Amino acid sequence: MHRGRGGKGGRPQVGGLVNLKGFFVATLSSALDLGIAVPDDVLRHVTADVLSIYLPRPLWARLITACLGAARVDARLVVETIGVPNLCEHVPLHILWGCVEEIGHRSLSGVVMAPASAPGSRPVGSAARPVPLATPPPPPASEPRIAVPPTNLGPSIPLPNADGDPAGNGGRVPPGQRFRPSTSGVGRLSATSTARRPQAQATPPTPPPAVEASAGGSDALPRGKRSPTEADFDLETYVGGKDDWKNALAVEDEQLVEWSASDEAAPPSDDRKR
Amino acid sequence: MSNDQRQAWFARMMESGLENDIFAPSDVLAHATPDVLASHLPPDLLSKVLTASLAAGSMTPERVLETVTPELLAKHLPHEVLWQCIAAAAARAGVHKSVGS
Repeated sequence: MHRGRGGKGGRPQVGGLVNLKGFFVATLSSALDLGIAVPDDVLRHVTADVLSIYLPRPLWARLITACLGAARVDARLVVETIGVPNLCEHVPLHILWGCVEEIGHRSLSGVVMAPASAPGSRPVGSAARPVPLATPPPPPASEPRIAVPPTNLGPSIPLPNADGDPAGNGGRVPPGQRFRPSTSGVGRLSATSTARRPQAQATPPTPPPAVEASAGGSDALPRGKRSPTEADFDLETYVGGKDDWKNALAVEDEQLVEWSASDEAAPPSDDRKR
Repeated sequence: MSNDQRQAWFARMMESGLENDIFAPSDVLAHATPDVLASHLPPDLLSKVLTASLAAGSMTPERVLETVTPELLAKHLPHEVLWQCIAAAAARAGVHKSVGS
């Protein structure tokens, strides 16, 4: 407030108390609220140089903090962060009047103010409420990586349907005990090998003609659609050897007979005893 | 900007100017002369002004503005007139060196 008027008869004279700052606060605030002016109009007069001279450091700290936390720094952010009352408190009145005068002349001349969509100029009316300064940008609506299907780490085993209905696989019903229920390939190899090794050892006594009669060859053995594994190698080794199964057994029998019946085998032991 | 917005702004400026003693009712009537008032105020408002003055026994600028409020001033009077009042008050306050621009 300063003394600007107060003579007899109400005539303004220098010396009376007037609240110019209050007047400018009301004028600028209402102009911004009503859309008569935009924050760019204010910053055209209350420039950064003006603020650097007249704005107190605490307000500068607040302004810098707001600018750092905002996604976009524009005149609206500056004006709303500082506040019209603070601007009118610290900025010289003749600068504020220059702003009000420009707005008033423009209002009287009917010139349309800067469009609201222009960069850095948004009307501060009821339809354009300020957003929180520290609001981060919205995160992307969807993560594209989520849609990436899981990578098949193991062999290409045909997957059943999501509901577990095996009939969806072309009407083909895979054997239920063919694979272990675990879907992860980790440990499957070792588990299979430990499970099949006793099976391979117990299989040779089974008559091979049963396999040959049902399938007609080694190619008809039940196999999964996957790459060969260590267990498969053992299984195929056995299957490949089933053709020479009788021959392999005959050789061993002859050797056993020769070893047990030969006289050459006994003398060394007798010589040692002697 | 719409006329309603400008009207509201001028009304607010006039109200604030009177509240903060930027200008007085007499300053307003120095620009809003009797001819201006008579030319722009509607008949019912002129009637109210006269009725209030007759009841009080005098017509003063303060009493006129009690009836013709800042909202009514901004509604009926040319905004150029109101702006001249504001600009002159700003010049008197020392914030503007060229009066009546």
